[in-house]
Amino acid sequence: MSLFKLHKTLFLLVLCSLVLVSCVKGVDLDQREEIALTPDLQVSLLIFDVTAQDFNDPETGEFQSIIRDTVRLEFLDDSYIQDDLSTVEFSFKYTNSFTQAFRNKISFLSETNGVQHVVSFDILAGTKGQPVVTNWIEFIDKANIEVVKKSIKMVVELQAIPNQDPFEGELKFESKGLFSFEF
Amino acid sequence: MKCLYFLLILFAGITSSMSQNKQLLYNVNGLPQSLLNNPGSTVNFDGHVGIPLFSKFHISVGSSGLNLYDIFDNSNPDVNKRVSSAIRRLTRNDYFTLHQQLEILSAGWRLNNGQYLSAGVYQEMDMFAYFPKDPALLVNEGNNAYINVPFDFSDVSFTGEILTVYHLGINKKINDKLTVGVRGKLYSGIFNVESIHNKGLFTTRDDPNTPNFYRHFAENIDVRVNTSGYASLNNSGMTVQQSTADLLKRSFFGGNVGAGFDIGGTYSLRENFRVSASILDIGVVYQQHDVENYLYYGSYATDGIEPLFPDVDENNNTIPYWDLFEDEVDRNLKDETLQENYTTWRPTKFNAAIEFGFEEMYDVCNYRRTYKRRNFNLVGLHLFGVRRPRTLNFALTAYYDRKFRNNFRAKIAYTVDDYSFTNVGLLVSKRLNKFNMFLAADNLFGYLNLAKSQNASLQFGLQFIFNKQ
Repeated sequence: MSLFKLHKTLFLLVLCSLVLVSCVKGVDLDQREEIALTPDLQVSLLIFDVTAQDFNDPETGEFQSIIRDTVRLEFLDDSYIQDDLSTVEFSFKYTNSFTQAFRNKISFLSETNGVQHVVSFDILAGTKGQPVVTNWIEFIDKANIEVVKKSIKMVVELQAIPNQDPFEGELKFESKGLFSFEF
Repeated sequence: MKCLYFLLILFAGITSSMSQNKQLLYNVNGLPQSLLNNPGSTVNFDGHVGIPLFSKFHISVGSSGLNLYDIFDNSNPDVNKRVSSAIRRLTRNDYFTLHQQLEILSAGWRLNNGQYLSAGVYQEMDMFAYFPKDPALLVNEGNNAYINVPFDFSDVSFTGEILTVYHLGINKKINDKLTVGVRGKLYSGIFNVESIHNKGLFTTRDDPNTPNFYRHFAENIDVRVNTSGYASLNNSGMTVQQSTADLLKRSFFGGNVGAGFDIGGTYSLRENFRVSASILDIGVVYQQHDVENYLYYGSYATDGIEPLFPDVDENNNTIPYWDLFEDEVDRNLKDETLQENYTTWRPTKFNAAIEFGFEEMYDVCNYRRTYKRRNFNLVGLHLFGVRRPRTLNFALTAYYDRKFRNNFRAKIAYTVDDYSFTNVGLLVSKRLNKFNMFLAADNLFGYLNLAKSQNASLQFGLQFIFNKQ
């Protein structure tokens, strides 16, 4: 074999063998089945700021110790919630400058108003100059996540606990949800 | 089977990209395809006819910052950790490309005045996407770990096109030193997608002056995806046969059209020392048929929904807080689908090279008569660049081109680019009488284990090459 033929054979051999015998080593492509996106999303939910006036009946003007409001959270019905929501951590925060305490009840209801989950806690009394903060964290784990998936309404109910002091002040509410997904 | 998986994943665009650099064919004067890289290259043959569909096929895939092994390493079972790690490591300027070119027809002949005329038709696909860093982080990790950190939607930038190119080039030897050439091109667009110049920030802030734990900001969002040749295939309910017929029609100017040109030249500083340069695809395609644009734009900030207590309005109706919220979002963040024509520029490429030859070639029977190729050995440096939405992407190649006999040559090249510092490529070209074939592959070390390779490129061609006596 001449030197030229040797060169030619060598080049062709190297090129063809590398291209044709190329391979994928050291990887397990079946792991693609295990790939999951797991975002943790912080989502603001409801806010409000109530004063003594909000506890007056809009028709009669008389004091009522319990007020409530309902907000539909339509996104809870979306497919990414229904299929991929893993856990939720709700955070609620009240800042109270009333000298009265309150009872808080947050209910999660289904479309047919079936109660799925309730969060109840007392809101500490404050003073006008020194509002008191009450924090509450409610964690819904994976085992109980269906209560969120079945919910579509969030009802906030406040019950004032009267005392001898004049009923005046401000009650601020903040809330958020940390929604953890597994897509 | 693993190779098959690899190819499927590459073609699905998950981990692969490809470059347009064809450094192995540049300055290979014995091959007609060299004229597509530089219409002003020196031509040392008098005619050529490509085997239809086989005269040149090129495919390359690559990723500037990721390979299969980074994700699917079988020694480490936690694939999600590696996905997260890769997303954090990649930058917004990392990119994925996929490029393919299939020459359908190719022919050339020398005119009586000595000029070389070449023409042909080829189909080309070019997909390019920057890594959408911030949106990927948001999707993979959410905003929880990124409070007060904006997610920037300008990270989303991608282009894709499939088109047929009809070209006619002329190559003229001005004098013994200078050869120039130009190639006119008509583009027949089959498919196009383009989303560049996006902007906008999404931020979740914990400003104590806001009424909730967090305030979400969508600021100056302006995202636009232009498509042509997509809407009809997506919406029409056509059968595969109808879709195929439609695509073929678009290949023959039945869709969107454009025009462009290549220019190039070669200058011999000395007998064995020459410089060459070319600019390719200075061209534009007018996207006017089957166009659909998807827009999302506006600004909005929210602290959440605010119930008013009581939950009925003055008419005793329940207040639809959610609907009001959605309406407000829709008023401020608009989602539109339009049919506006748009214009796309081709990804212009440029090449520049210096080449030095040694070991002069002589006719076997007449040492005074040199071959048209003057040297057995050529060494050179070749700089390649391609215009992409944000920057020019470069590759620098050093090569050694050896002609062993008149009918066999090989070229070995070392390329430094965004994909690799170990890219060694090889081209072999063999002529059997008038029939010539070539095979070229880049990044040969990568073929030893494609999983660890960030790019792969392969091209081959078959044609007849004629020389006048």
